[in-house]
Amino acid sequence: MIEVQHLSKRYGPFTAVDDVSFNVGAGEILGFLGPNGAGKTTTMRIITGYMPATDGAVSVAGYDVFSQPIEAKKRTGYLPETPPLYPDMTVRDYVTFVARIKGVPAREVKSRVEDVMRKTHVADMASRHCGKLSKGYKQRVGLAQALIHNPDVLVLDEPTAGLDPKQIIEARQLITELGGSHTVVLSTHILPEVSQTCHRVVIINKGKVVAVDTPANLTARLRGSETLYLQVHAPGADVAAGLSHVAGVTRVKADLHDNGLAAVEVDSEQGRDVRRELAAAVVHQGWGLLELRPMRMSLEDIFLSLTTEDAGDAVEPAAPAPATEAADA
Amino acid sequence: MRNIVTIARKELQGYFASPIAYVVLGFFALLYGYFFYTLLWYFDRQSMQVAPGSGMTMNVNQMLIGPVFMNVSVIVLFIMPMITMRTYAEEKRSGTIELLLTSPLTDWQIILGKFLGALLLYTVMLSVTLIHVGTLFYFGDPEWKPVATGYLGLLLMGGCFISAGLLISSLTKNQIVAGMVTFAVFLLLWVINWIGQSLGPTGQAIVTHLSITDHLDDFARGIIDTKHLVYYASFIVFGLFLTAKSVDSERWRG
Ligand SMILES: Nc1ncnc2c1ncn2[C@@H]1O[C@H](COP(=O)(O)OP(=O)(O)O)[C@@H](O)[C@H]1O
Ligand SMILES: [Mg+2]
Repeated sequence: MIEVQHLSKRYGPFTAVDDVSFNVGAGEILGFLGPNGAGKTTTMRIITGYMPATDGAVSVAGYDVFSQPIEAKKRTGYLPETPPLYPDMTVRDYVTFVARIKGVPAREVKSRVEDVMRKTHVADMASRHCGKLSKGYKQRVGLAQALIHNPDVLVLDEPTAGLDPKQIIEARQLITELGGSHTVVLSTHILPEVSQTCHRVVIINKGKVVAVDTPANLTARLRGSETLYLQVHAPGADVAAGLSHVAGVTRVKADLHDNGLAAVEVDSEQGRDVRRELAAAVVHQGWGLLELRPMRMSLEDIFLSLTTEDAGDAVEPAAPAPATEAADA
Repeated sequence: MRNIVTIARKELQGYFASPIAYVVLGFFALLYGYFFYTLLWYFDRQSMQVAPGSGMTMNVNQMLIGPVFMNVSVIVLFIMPMITMRTYAEEKRSGTIELLLTSPLTDWQIILGKFLGALLLYTVMLSVTLIHVGTLFYFGDPEWKPVATGYLGLLLMGGCFISAGLLISSLTKNQIVAGMVTFAVFLLLWVINWIGQSLGPTGQAIVTHLSITDHLDDFARGIIDTKHLVYYASFIVFGLFLTAKSVDSERWRG
């Protein structure tokens, strides 16, 4: 339904989106995950035809957004980061206006407007001015606006940002309902968002796609590389050097504290349990082993490890290139 | 066409939903009323001085309606920035421009819609003057033709101001800046013929040609000269064209 091919966007000399490619199938909910400044908004603005790309191609429902913008836009609903509301308009007038400019046939406008206001739970505020709504209502009116022409594709930029927990749950519910009848792309820099609503996740950092997979696979893939956490009492010793010789260990990261305690993270080869050998090595060096446990990688850790500066040395197996290849395989 | 009307309607609704329309109309009615009565009083005094039976007749058109139109053009100069300043600037500031530019509309439909919306408010504003002019027709016997061409001239002149105002509004996110720059530019276009007078005949000819308000003279006298029509039409089209360019380049820069 959405095809993004080798998309790049430069603002002057600065590359905000760098050779991004992904597809979204009909009825799928795709999460677009990345920290602030990753290029999510820019990518979405290109998909929705708000701005042209520097390079690459995007098609929506089979229409190229650059050469057939009108056709593509008719099939796209877009909720920008801040809902694009006119504060002086009432909710009903506003949604009606959007219905008209989105090309809803004149005789259907009225019923569509009432329909969508009911669906997004804003009907009780229909006569209220948009400027006087609470944040949660503004977001829902924004959603109503995006849905009004029953588009094939919905692009939602941080749809739950700034909402309170109850509103977030409602928003997620609504988005989950929308998947199936619409193709949804939503962006977020908050993890639980994607694991709860999305079928697939595109992780983006500094304009580049880092990984594409289902939330479950992403977790599984990273859990494949076992990471252990140890707490060791080893005053003055070089713990990292002492443990990196253990067979099967691929990486050791140790933080030595003043009190002689060291917090150690150890990565090992996939599927290899090195706990016994590690314990033996610690004891052999004459150190005290205070704690030894597997570190469970939540999607949150994956996200952090994939998108923070030192992604490379935090989790070796998840380095960008192999991760994307694995996703395609 | 339907899209242009939809945008125009939204613009007009926006003017009346905010204080702008009322400020514009009130301000105009006040200034216009003041000028009108001053001119009427002046006209009245002059006609007293014309001895009955001397063969001289006072021409209402030349002596009253013409000057009234010229005065209207000056008031418009002060008021129009209020009408155009927020057209684009406010959409950009509040982010609603994202809605417009991701809707199945062409840039030209949006621009023409905004142009039409502003022109409609301006027309409503001008219609305030119909009351006074109507009075003149009721009590006096002016020619209707110069009145009609005068209104045509005012509409065209307003179109030029709106076109320039849209362009300036499209260049900034701040409607106050847009309003002030627009006012400065209008003022320049108005006083330019005073500057021209010190430039000798050629300079003056060029400068008079540039001055938006000078083209109004003939209209107020009942003359429709193609020269002026072409000037106004090309001014409007050129302004809208530059607005389209500005919107498009903004799009690339993001
Ligand atoms: N109009 C612009 N001009 C210059 N740089 C921009 C512009 N818009 C965004 N950027 C830059 O591009 C990068 C990506 O921004 P954005 O797409 O908004 O990221 P995200 O939505 O993931 O937070 C950021 O570093 C941002 O500063
Ligand atoms: Mg963003």
